[in-house]
Amino acid sequence: MLEDELSVSIRERDGVSIIDLMGDVTTFAEEKINSAYAQVTDHGAKQILLNFRQNDYINSAGIAILIGVVTEVNRNGQRLAVSGLSQHFQRIFRMVGLSQYIDIYQDENEALRGFATAAA
Amino acid sequence: MDTQSPSIDLTIPSELGYEKIAREAVAAFARRFGFDHERIEDLKTALGEVCINAIEHGNACVPGLRVLVHCECGNDRLTVEVHDRGVKQYLAHGPSARIEQKVFGSAPLRGMGLMLISQLVDDVGFSHNPEGGNICRFSLERQQIHANGTRE
Amino acid sequence: MTSSPNDHDQMHPERVIELRLPSRLGYEKIAMDAATSLARRMGFHEDRINALRTALAEAVTNAIEHGNAHDSAMRVLVMLTVRPDELIVSVADQGRNLLDPDKTLVTPSIEESFTKADKGGWGIWLIRELVDEVEFSTGPGGGNQVRMVIHLEK
Repeated sequence: MLEDELSVSIRERDGVSIIDLMGDVTTFAEEKINSAYAQVTDHGAKQILLNFRQNDYINSAGIAILIGVVTEVNRNGQRLAVSGLSQHFQRIFRMVGLSQYIDIYQDENEALRGFATAAA
Repeated sequence: MDTQSPSIDLTIPSELGYEKIAREAVAAFARRFGFDHERIEDLKTALGEVCINAIEHGNACVPGLRVLVHCECGNDRLTVEVHDRGVKQYLAHGPSARIEQKVFGSAPLRGMGLMLISQLVDDVGFSHNPEGGNICRFSLERQQIHANGTRE
Repeated sequence: MTSSPNDHDQMHPERVIELRLPSRLGYEKIAMDAATSLARRMGFHEDRINALRTALAEAVTNAIEHGNAHDSAMRVLVMLTVRPDELIVSVADQGRNLLDPDKTLVTPSIEESFTKADKGGWGIWLIRELVDEVEFSTGPGGGNQVRMVIHLEK
């Protein structure tokens, strides 16, 4: 059964490591997200963007995974942002308190501008 | 280990409109097994027609009745059964009617409904539930089989 | 027919949809899609629909993982009850593991999560935060039952 699988890809733009997340962010996403994060960190990434798709399903297990990533980001002195989240999941991130540790942008371009401003 | 084919069961009020919920549930089920968008649209249309028939004909629009949808998937084949309470029977007691009998009016299925269904799914049949009521059963393979036997 | 549809509606103003699912992660999406389509037909605002969707995802996931402990022989029963002013969604499992009532009152903290190995525990809290009414109890079959209500604002 393939329907829920998350696919993850990594790219770079303007000095930001972008991790594209396509699919559901649930317990099954843990290994893929953690290894994408490890990979960009190994390459020295200081600015990381998690790029979601609007309609994806993120549940509390997915939130726990993201909290894990934030834990590492804080430890490693990196800056983390998200883009592409629906209004609903932006609200969930705020409710959980993730918005205090992650910058939330509507889309990738806005995120890149945000990173550039923060770095300046 | 679960060796049975995975399945879901859904019951809806026997009222027009609720078949739309059944369509969504069965579509979500089919998506888990890799059925593509087009095949899922076929499935939803077929199920909608069968449910409407159960509501209007099998249950004769009697309020308070229910329609049961059972859906299972095994070996790349999705099978759906729709049960009504048989206020009206499709057939006299006997073996499942063949499509030809339906087409010639021995067992009504809402006008063009059956013609449509038989083009969308791989087979469709009707039977009696020994416990009362009609059962319409249809199945479709993940890839549609064309009339000339080719698959896409 | 002995009663007209109107008589019936007056005596029975609610409509129920029942869905039985295998206890396997991923099947919560079927419940989510069914509830979404129903809530949309009832005229709920998209925000409330999304909230219900997430709350239901958590409830069904808990039933699969915790209540039914991924036992494929066990089912999760989701009941959607349509009333004129509200939608009631209940999720029942067959209860291998009964939920500790104290766990239903916890408010997790992200700061605490940073220091713990287990960063979870958000599901039940999310349910409480997202729906208008919630009740955790034991179902008629002896398992866990969560009853969630969203009110239809006109």
